[in-house]
Amino acid sequence: MIPNLDPRVSQLVRDRGFTRLSPIQQAAIPLVREGKNLILIAPTGTGKTESAMIPVFDAMLTGKGQGITTLYITPLRALNRDMLSRLSWWCSNLGFSVGVRHGDTTQTERRKQALSPPDLLITTPETLQALLMGRVMRKHLAGVRYVVVDEIHELAGSKRGAQLAVALERVREYAGEFQRIGLSATVGNPRDIGQFLCGRREFSVVSVPVAESLDIRVEFAGDSFDSQCDWISGAIDRHSSTLIFVNTRVTAEALGHRLYPRGDVEVHHGSLSREVRIEAEERFRKGDVRCLIATSSMELGIDIGRIEHVIQFGSPREVMRLVQRVGRAGHQLDVVSRGTVLSTGFDDLLESLVIARRAHAGQIEEVTIPVNAADVLANQIAALAVEYREIPLPKVKEIVGRSYPFPDAGDLVDEVCAQMAEHHLIRIDGDRVRSSARSRRYLSGNLSMIPDERKVTVFDMVSRKTVGTLDESFVAGFIHTGVVFVTKGQLWRVLDIDEGRITVEPARKVKGEIPSWEGEQIPVPFSIAREVAMLRRTRDFSSYAAGKDPASFAARFLEEMDRNRTPVPDDTLISLENVPDGVVCNVCAGHKANEALARVLSILLSARFGTTVGIEIDAYRIFLRLPPAVKAADVKETLLSLDPAHLEGILQLAMKRTALFKWKMVQVAKKFGAIDPDADYEKISVSRLIETFEGTVVQKEAYRELFSVYMDVPAAARIVSLVREGSIRVAISHQSLIGAAGLFSSRDMIPPPAADQAVIATLRRRIDQQEIILFCMNCRKWKSRTVVSRVPDPPRCPRCQARLIAVLKPWEEPLIAQVSKKQKTEEDRAIEMKLLRNANLVLSSGRKAVTALAARGVGPENAARILSTLTEGNAFYTEIIRAERNYIRTRKFW
Amino acid sequence: MKMEFLPDGPALVVENRERVLVAGDLHLGIEPSLSRQGVHIRSRSRERIDRLIACIESAGPDTLALLGDIKHGVPFTTRQEMREIRDFFDEIRSIIPFFVLPGNHDPGIEEFLRPDELFPRDGALVDGVGYLHGHTYPNPALRGHLILAGHHHVMVSVRDEVGCALRAAGYLLARVNETCLQFPPGGDESGTVTRALFVPAFCELAGYDIQHMIRDPISPLSRCIDIPTSELFLSDGTFLGPLSLLEEDANDSEP
Repeated sequence: MIPNLDPRVSQLVRDRGFTRLSPIQQAAIPLVREGKNLILIAPTGTGKTESAMIPVFDAMLTGKGQGITTLYITPLRALNRDMLSRLSWWCSNLGFSVGVRHGDTTQTERRKQALSPPDLLITTPETLQALLMGRVMRKHLAGVRYVVVDEIHELAGSKRGAQLAVALERVREYAGEFQRIGLSATVGNPRDIGQFLCGRREFSVVSVPVAESLDIRVEFAGDSFDSQCDWISGAIDRHSSTLIFVNTRVTAEALGHRLYPRGDVEVHHGSLSREVRIEAEERFRKGDVRCLIATSSMELGIDIGRIEHVIQFGSPREVMRLVQRVGRAGHQLDVVSRGTVLSTGFDDLLESLVIARRAHAGQIEEVTIPVNAADVLANQIAALAVEYREIPLPKVKEIVGRSYPFPDAGDLVDEVCAQMAEHHLIRIDGDRVRSSARSRRYLSGNLSMIPDERKVTVFDMVSRKTVGTLDESFVAGFIHTGVVFVTKGQLWRVLDIDEGRITVEPARKVKGEIPSWEGEQIPVPFSIAREVAMLRRTRDFSSYAAGKDPASFAARFLEEMDRNRTPVPDDTLISLENVPDGVVCNVCAGHKANEALARVLSILLSARFGTTVGIEIDAYRIFLRLPPAVKAADVKETLLSLDPAHLEGILQLAMKRTALFKWKMVQVAKKFGAIDPDADYEKISVSRLIETFEGTVVQKEAYRELFSVYMDVPAAARIVSLVREGSIRVAISHQSLIGAAGLFSSRDMIPPPAADQAVIATLRRRIDQQEIILFCMNCRKWKSRTVVSRVPDPPRCPRCQARLIAVLKPWEEPLIAQVSKKQKTEEDRAIEMKLLRNANLVLSSGRKAVTALAARGVGPENAARILSTLTEGNAFYTEIIRAERNYIRTRKFW
Repeated sequence: MKMEFLPDGPALVVENRERVLVAGDLHLGIEPSLSRQGVHIRSRSRERIDRLIACIESAGPDTLALLGDIKHGVPFTTRQEMREIRDFFDEIRSIIPFFVLPGNHDPGIEEFLRPDELFPRDGALVDGVGYLHGHTYPNPALRGHLILAGHHHVMVSVRDEVGCALRAAGYLLARVNETCLQFPPGGDESGTVTRALFVPAFCELAGYDIQHMIRDPISPLSRCIDIPTSELFLSDGTFLGPLSLLEEDANDSEP
């Protein structure tokens, strides 16, 4: 079968039941034998693990060293029974010892591994960090000759991956150069994955083209859950075994609940206990159930036997996901994998069609690898400080610089070290880095780069029940007493924050929104959203895998838009719609570009109108929550005024006071050791704390991450350019079907750069409610106690119809008696003059004068001055504020 | 009496016959305490002291009133902190005469002060104005005057139609109930009311929302204020309005 394999290994291959090797195995095995670094790309279930491990086992036979020979690194959720039992089978038959090490490994097992290190150690990236903290395990790691990284496409695109890349360079310090093998799902940029794993070292890529083996259809069965369930039921009947993928746990449960009565359906997702999941897997494998409903928990290579058909419920959002999931169907490699996407609505349908087309065309998304993530660097420098107790800076730079995510570490390392020293996380002694008293404890609490989000419970005072949870970092940055927010579709006002719990009461009216990033949706990429937009325009579904029903539904939906005379927003048109609480902007640019665009629009609008703007986005629309005075026309003007080159600068300013930014700052600050995982920072003003990071590398990293993970500025700039050059028109429309269809996935509030409007709004409210006394200075017989808001413009005496009306504050009432006396003293006459001056202002300026005279400490002189500025609106109120401020400085006030 | 508001303190200048600069709650040395709570930042004492000196230079007062909680650690935890406090007083003393109303975080501070700089914990009357840290019952001698108090780290939130726009240091001016404050019944003080002006914390890391103060008063003074007639100001002296107005903000039913 394979020449040159050790006969023991060949025999086991036959024992395993392989009569021949898969294409990927045939290509990969010789390369691994030659000691080359390798990236293996293939759909799940194609024997990736064996492809990597067979030659590794073969090589291990020729010479086992001391300590651990092979490290198999995989994310925790992929550490499943099947993989373990397979690898154990190989190892026991070849005389190798195998061990598993992760967060829950027992003390006994750990001691065993320390005393007698396994030849093959299966572990997670986080646990590798823990291993490097121990002297004994470090010694064992010196024997490593092979490192296999599973699910590397996922790791490469995250900070966990950057952390792992550095960890591998740290292992290399003990073990020397070792062979690196990465196992990946299909991605658009395999060579980048290779560089991520190997740094500047050479490597090869072996991949199995997946496109030919996929047969994907897109169906639509109505947008009601009932009709969708009926369709699914029918589909299950048509195949001997079906795997249904859904995007959320809630959907899995809902669907399962509906289909349980059939008796041949099971549900599988991450929140279920291990036992329940394993049982479901078993029953499916044995054929006791013919359908499994799963979330992404089933994307991984758990062997559940043959799957004849895969159903994706709702758009998969990304081509990579669809390929990965449908790829589970079929068994032998020459059989086509069949799948159907059941779309759930108009947007969903078009998106599914586009994604299915791209899957067939092999157009898979690229993984973006984070480079120069300063908080990962901080984490690893702290780890190095603890590992070595004392390590020269050049050495730190050398180790870190070998990894792909930190190519020219130099200056960044210096900056990060200086910042860490400020937080007492390390000590810098000349050009040596030393661990501090806190270093070890920090590491134990920060083994992972996954943000450690404690949940804060939200407790409703009125119903005396817990109504939900919020992320802690987010609470710290944003929630404070008095703030109103939304959760579980209801409005709440914060009464108190204490002991990890927020006490709230129901609030009556919308005054604020907060973002909730728990359950973050997978963002729809820019290119897919643009193709959806184009499809809306061409209405040509012929080259898309659309069944009859979906095509006619889409056509009818668009025709309905035409009948309502609402323009269809597409790749040449952005439509803006006025709705009760704001403006909907129908822009098809994907989540990240829309996030950037939404924030730019909102900061400009909030600066121009001086008011907070709420934003909510999804892939095809932006909702701007605005006060009634700001309309679609204003949004259009702002949009047309944008310059693509300025977007980034605007965003940097815009982000600072937003919840998203504060949340991220807190997370990054934690990684720099500024905030402990169990910190009690309820008594500290977190906003103030965040200000202390202004201009530091902590802030730079928060920006870097927000700009690469949450926002796509180049794509937003592209949209703006297209608008500028006229390729995209902007039109105002009334509320349309498309505009109303939004399920917004991300929300935030953009406060104005200066808070003037809020102060002015407060002033206006105060003056409106100010009690005053009106007194007619003409007939001197009419007096009325009222509030400013009820005074007509102009005010008129009901007795004599004159407009010569004086405005007095309530405590000035006695003055009326004084000027009504028959015999007036010198003083009385002076007061009379003053009231006449007062009334004359009202005569000439009407309601405006009333407003000015109702202000604190403003008498006729000051009111006259304010009125003479001839300002209107906000400027007028600003004058009043200034006058009040001056009064407050004076003797009379105090 | 005149008042000047210095927003970049935040601090206040009271002018009667004398010009007094008032700052409270410096909390020098708060950083180690933050560290024990799990927040680790370097000491910002130098920046804070520089900001105070800038206020002194721009306001040109005759005297500086420090309304307590000048230091933070209770009791002193390190010799380092003791040195810092001693150096601070030396520095200020060389620029301007000052007096201190000791706060709850200030035990031990006496040893660094001259007798004429240390005033009683229950407050003092200077140039017709009362000064107090704010954690104790005020001395009855302050009856009928305006009492400037710190301790409460006043912060206010201002909202507009869409959401929260501003959250910043502020001042609360309130009438206080003399009986509640256990002032002995007065003779001919009728006509003069006792008022308290709560000043914000000079320490940039501290701040309690005003709602806290109202719902959970932590001191005799805050327990005895007349809430309906209380008024709020921003740190630049902008008058916001009665407390009730801002409470309404959040519950406003806008069309």
